[in-house]
Amino acid sequence: MRTEFVRIYKAVHTWTGIIAGMALFIAFYAGALTVFKEPLARWAAPPAAMPAVALEDTPQLIARVLAADPMAARDFTIHLTDTEQVPGRMGWQVRDPDADEHDETSVRHYAATLDADGQARIESVHPSQLASFIDVLHRVVGLPVDSDPNRWVMGIIAVLYALALVSGVVVLLPSLVKDFFALRVGRNLKRMWLDAHNVVGIVSLPFHLVMALTAVVFAYHDGIYVVQDSVIHDGKWGTAFQRPPPSTAAPTRDPAAMLPPLELVARAKAFAPGFEPTLLQYQQVTGPRAVVRVWGKDAAAVSPRARGGFAALDPYSGKVIGNDFLPGRQSTPNLFISSFFALHMAAFGGTPVQWMYFVLGLAGAWLFYSGNLLWVESRRRKQPRSGGGVPAQRRDVRLLAAATVGVCLGCVCGISVSIVGSKWAYGLVGDADAWLRPLYYSCFFGCIAWAFMRGAARAGVSLLWLAAASTLAIPLTSCVAVLMPGLNMWAHTSPSSLGVDMTACVGALAFGWMAKAAARRARHGAPDSVWSGKQEGGLGEGAPGAGVQAK
Amino acid sequence: MAGSSHPPIQRDWLSKTLAGLVLGAVLAFALSGLFSRLNAGMPLSVRGQLAMWMVPPIWLGVLSGVYFFSSGLRAWLWLGMAAAGLAGAFYLL
Repeated sequence: MRTEFVRIYKAVHTWTGIIAGMALFIAFYAGALTVFKEPLARWAAPPAAMPAVALEDTPQLIARVLAADPMAARDFTIHLTDTEQVPGRMGWQVRDPDADEHDETSVRHYAATLDADGQARIESVHPSQLASFIDVLHRVVGLPVDSDPNRWVMGIIAVLYALALVSGVVVLLPSLVKDFFALRVGRNLKRMWLDAHNVVGIVSLPFHLVMALTAVVFAYHDGIYVVQDSVIHDGKWGTAFQRPPPSTAAPTRDPAAMLPPLELVARAKAFAPGFEPTLLQYQQVTGPRAVVRVWGKDAAAVSPRARGGFAALDPYSGKVIGNDFLPGRQSTPNLFISSFFALHMAAFGGTPVQWMYFVLGLAGAWLFYSGNLLWVESRRRKQPRSGGGVPAQRRDVRLLAAATVGVCLGCVCGISVSIVGSKWAYGLVGDADAWLRPLYYSCFFGCIAWAFMRGAARAGVSLLWLAAASTLAIPLTSCVAVLMPGLNMWAHTSPSSLGVDMTACVGALAFGWMAKAAARRARHGAPDSVWSGKQEGGLGEGAPGAGVQAK
Repeated sequence: MAGSSHPPIQRDWLSKTLAGLVLGAVLAFALSGLFSRLNAGMPLSVRGQLAMWMVPPIWLGVLSGVYFFSSGLRAWLWLGMAAAGLAGAFYLL
């Protein structure tokens, strides 16, 4: 390849990477945690005030609740599992019609159970928003609300990300064979970081290509559909998903005549062996289009959505009326479409694949962080061999180093603080959700301000210690909850919930190790670097070597 | 490398990027339209989704490859011809 192309694509890689890198760090760090959204939701769920009805008694529950609140018949859920974040056995949601369809904060949740004398008890419940808050940070690169304009911003970042991926490969291609298996650990730190950046980038390239393309689709699919509808589909797209009208106008049906949930589950499992149902979603059960979606997962198959897939059954006859979204039973074109979702959301292969995505996601975050470090390192002013003073580093280099440290570690600290805060706020003031955004953003912007005030080297060390401390506070909070029940907190002992605590322990150790390494470099590393504590700190302070620098 | 035998490559950042963005979009929509026309037997719900998923890979592929053209003018000419040909084929079908 002509070296000119390499030079041109290196410029593309540099500038797309610098613009998108920090936003992508947030998307990938929050996204790695979102792989385990359900364990996080279970960890953050207050102990259920509403006992779950036994599965055998659910027909009675459904009949009583629909008699008391006929509106619930539109769309309600029967949970088959007894996990911490699910109150009662039956639940439904009422959405604000004016809110964005992806905005979960405006949804009101209801749950129902049977009390001792068999009467329906319906309550408004407030499931913890923690896991969906972290998911929102992931979906809109750290912005507070998942709305159309914010998704468009994310889409621009995703386009830059795709450009950065292709250009990075073009730059690396001529020397790929020579460089790929070389991790030159040694005195040349920049060489080592570049080797590591290249290895991680090439090894996880398929993962990143999938993420970039799906993210662009998630941002702009509405717009693409609108254009294609008018140009290609002749305005018929809106009717593509309509089911044919029922042949006879059926009278209002009596939900008491529906098959029991356990029977519906048995029918779904008989239709698809290996499918593990987790919940039943009933829709329009009193109307002619009554349907129950038996949602679940099949670790041996591709799931079309993050929560799994479903078989659509007629709740009165138990007949399977749709398998377009059933893992392992989809038609080839539907499987093809589902695989995009599954490849983005780790909805295949079960828990081992989720852990793989967790690691790939964190590796991705590291990739963007290291990219910024390489930009900084390439613009380093070296101390002349002949001696003389230590040159001050360029102002733009100091700014970018501080921004990288502040934004990336601000996101890490902010997420840990909001996880911890969700439990404490519930115990102390009751309403935890109102505190999530203030906690995250005050921590996030506080870290950025601190990084600019102190400079990258010193702020890097202290912010890494803060990340270690706030992450360690996650399992410590669970310990405190057990030791001091008066604080009105809780600690669940399910493997999922304990897994959150243990992962946080490992994370805290990792941040602590990084903090020690950063402190060592700040103390003993080469003084002609933004990572040296001997460089000037805050941006307002005078530069000590200003008179010596080249120009 | 035989760098001396080639004319130098012009950067033309703006015109190449615009060519990639604009003509990449035309190419992507034209190809997705051709796909939809040629698979008219597939249910619209499935065909439409596949056609939508085709757009970003083609669009971004063109956008990220556009800097290989030796000048912005050549990018516009080649991509423009390809886009016109495919769009024409789509409307003729």
